[in-house]
Amino acid sequence: MIKVLFFGPVAERAGAREAGVEFHAGMRVQDVRTKLQGLYPAAFEMVCFAAVNGEHVRDMSLPLADNSEVVFMSRYSGG
Amino acid sequence: MKAAVRIQQEDFSQDEEIRALQTSSKRIGGIATFLGCARDFSEGREVSEISFDAYGSMAVSEMNKLREEAIEKFGLLEARIVHRIGVVKAGESIVFIAAGAEHRAPALQACHWLIDELKQRVPIWKKEITPQGDAWVTPHP
Repeated sequence: MIKVLFFGPVAERAGAREAGVEFHAGMRVQDVRTKLQGLYPAAFEMVCFAAVNGEHVRDMSLPLADNSEVVFMSRYSGG
Repeated sequence: MKAAVRIQQEDFSQDEEIRALQTSSKRIGGIATFLGCARDFSEGREVSEISFDAYGSMAVSEMNKLREEAIEKFGLLEARIVHRIGVVKAGESIVFIAAGAEHRAPALQACHWLIDELKQRVPIWKKEITPQGDAWVTPHP
């Protein structure tokens, strides 16, 4: 299972802070994004960044391991 | 002593942070600081408080990377970064950065660089709470 987390404005639009996506061999970040974008289209309009296991990911074709933590994020506004 | 890089709900003491930095090395000749505060007015609206959300583990990891990069890039002797999360009332402190170096120029430059990079790289989001309703802040340069 891939654990997906949402924060801030993305979480508010999604109406959830967490989602699960069933893992399959060869799964990539883009596969998770495509699946969740269909479920939470308004939230994904804001998504600019992704992270896997706490590290920024720019290549959406990055392969995922089972039990990975994936986060889709809007632009940051801290400070 | 508290960690040099933290996110926390409670307020922080600038004096404690500066003292911790100052006592880390007797070679420090200059300390520059930045304090970010919650304004009570934004985009033409009154703001009563700001609510911060964060991807906590990644935020701390990125802030630690920033600290290490700043120490390397500017030749700092020490640096500290503290960011609050949760609800911060107008007029209260949000973020504190302190950079210590042998001379003032690198300390000042590092402090400026650290707050700019923090805004770009650390997964924290702010929502302004106003009498007219709540609104997530859209980042601007």
